[in-house]
Amino acid sequence: MGGRTERAAPSASPKARRSWAWLGVLPFFAFLVLFLIIPAVSVFTEALKNKDGSFGFDAMREAFRGQNLDAFWFSVRFSAGAAAVGVLVGTLLAYAAATAKRPKWLRSLVTSFSGVAANLGGLPLAFAFISLLGRQGVLTKVLDYFGWHLYAGDFNLGQVPGLITVYSYFNIPLMVLITLPAIDGLKVAWREAAANLGGSSFVYWRRVGLPVLAPSLLGGFLLLFANSFSAYATAAIMTDNSKIVSLRLGFFLGGDINVGQDAIGYALAAWMIIIMAVAMALYWVLRKRAERWQT
Amino acid sequence: MADVNPLAPDLEVVIDPEIGGPPTAPIGGIPPTAGRPAARLGRLGPTLVVILCAMFFIFPLLSLARYSLQNVPTVRLGWSTLFDKWSLKGLTKAFDDPHFGPTLRLSLKLALGTVLLTLALLLPTAIWVHMRLPRMRPVIEFITVLPYVIPAIAMVAGIVVVKPHARWFLNSDYALIPFYVILALPFTYRSIDAGLRSIDLKTLVDASRSLGAGWGTTLRRAVVPNLRTSIISSAFLTTAVVLGEFTIASTLLKNTLPTFQRTFVGVNPQAGFGLNFLALVVTTMLFALLTLLTRKRGAKGTKPDAAVTNAMAYSALSQQSKGI
Repeated sequence: MGGRTERAAPSASPKARRSWAWLGVLPFFAFLVLFLIIPAVSVFTEALKNKDGSFGFDAMREAFRGQNLDAFWFSVRFSAGAAAVGVLVGTLLAYAAATAKRPKWLRSLVTSFSGVAANLGGLPLAFAFISLLGRQGVLTKVLDYFGWHLYAGDFNLGQVPGLITVYSYFNIPLMVLITLPAIDGLKVAWREAAANLGGSSFVYWRRVGLPVLAPSLLGGFLLLFANSFSAYATAAIMTDNSKIVSLRLGFFLGGDINVGQDAIGYALAAWMIIIMAVAMALYWVLRKRAERWQT
Repeated sequence: MADVNPLAPDLEVVIDPEIGGPPTAPIGGIPPTAGRPAARLGRLGPTLVVILCAMFFIFPLLSLARYSLQNVPTVRLGWSTLFDKWSLKGLTKAFDDPHFGPTLRLSLKLALGTVLLTLALLLPTAIWVHMRLPRMRPVIEFITVLPYVIPAIAMVAGIVVVKPHARWFLNSDYALIPFYVILALPFTYRSIDAGLRSIDLKTLVDASRSLGAGWGTTLRRAVVPNLRTSIISSAFLTTAVVLGEFTIASTLLKNTLPTFQRTFVGVNPQAGFGLNFLALVVTTMLFALLTLLTRKRGAKGTKPDAAVTNAMAYSALSQQSKGI
């Protein structure tokens, strides 16, 4: 007995200190629980209620059916489109900025501007695009003059091509910020090695460049997808298209759709959180892989 | 391009009269190729990309500026009216509206409150975690990205559920502050954490303490000055997020500046667009000031601080998914 107590004694003091150290982060965690965890969890508790108030998946199922499913499909489609455009153009722009030698300030300018543009969004951006490409937009008028009648077709800032155009404004610069470090990680030696072994530029990109960049590009895609999928304000100003899930949820919360079917609104929110969680989780996995080459 | 000797371009760089001087290390890990006609042609693609992108990014701003500054409807815009009726009135007319003052003041108070609460909450926590609970860092890092997963509009859904139990609190305009702290958390925490990682906190604190300073003095005179960049970038980016936040404020029917920006467009379209243009200019100036205040002076002139650029990328995610 005595021996055991003696052996336990040395480990007791750091343990005691650690239990005190926990108290230091208590206010922070209490704050998170109050303002992040409780609202998030209560979305799910409301979403998982049947009409009679019992636990069940009726609302969750209803929120993924019919018009609601159409909305999710529409949102996933335009978000994936916007992400693809953002990845492609953003990577090209980052590559152009990273490899440009003249002017010297180009890279700094592109980085700084991307930092700003990625953060522009919401109202000013929506109004800027309305003034440019809206029904009475300047560019719309110029294109009309040249015989391209934009609004003769089904173009609309609230439809897929319009949303992709507008969201590219913050997606492209965000992709530049994400992908620049990855492009910097491509070592000159790799390209030289490929060339010395007789590989052409194409072979270098096919066998070395793209495989190294792939996790960054895929991760960027997921991030831009999540960014577009959850954006609300920009879309809310430009359109009242209830096929955009975030707007649809806004209508539910504002009481514009199906008053009394609250649970379905919360189920929409729950599905949004689930989709975001999947996208972000995959992103974190890919980011860990991408960081392997960036030292 | 296959026959280009990867070592040759270096020689050509020296010969190239336009560059001169010793060959510099290639940027971006790509061998320098300027000089050869074929390589020059190879730069055509990237140049085109930069020019097209510049146009895409500048045109919407120009058109918003024109709409705000020129009182000519687009229908009547043409060569003959191109220079008519330009004035700054479109920008300032919003100031005369009786709702402008109160909404601006509320937004400024919310911004200040959010910055102060963020710093009061995060600085002690982050310092404590670095000093005493280093093994908690990955856990906290994970928790602080959770707000990304919850879109602002879903967050509002959660607030609506909770509302009947906390009406006394949520009816106040200032109830937005804690939620804005949460919105900003991914980039504010990351920024402060990065700042703490870049200094030798333990040595700093030990040195200060052994010289007889108390905890308060140590934080104020030793730790905080070393976190200048982190604190400035957190404060600026948080201010930008709060001043533009629309989703939560509008669904919870709070009269902040962004909700006024929207309703005022209905009252007076031109002046409304002008107000939005002004908001855009002010936000851009905030970012420009942040970049200037934190830029790094290196051997090759000044350049933006990488940590601040990183924080901007994170704040961008907050901006959209929280839907400013």
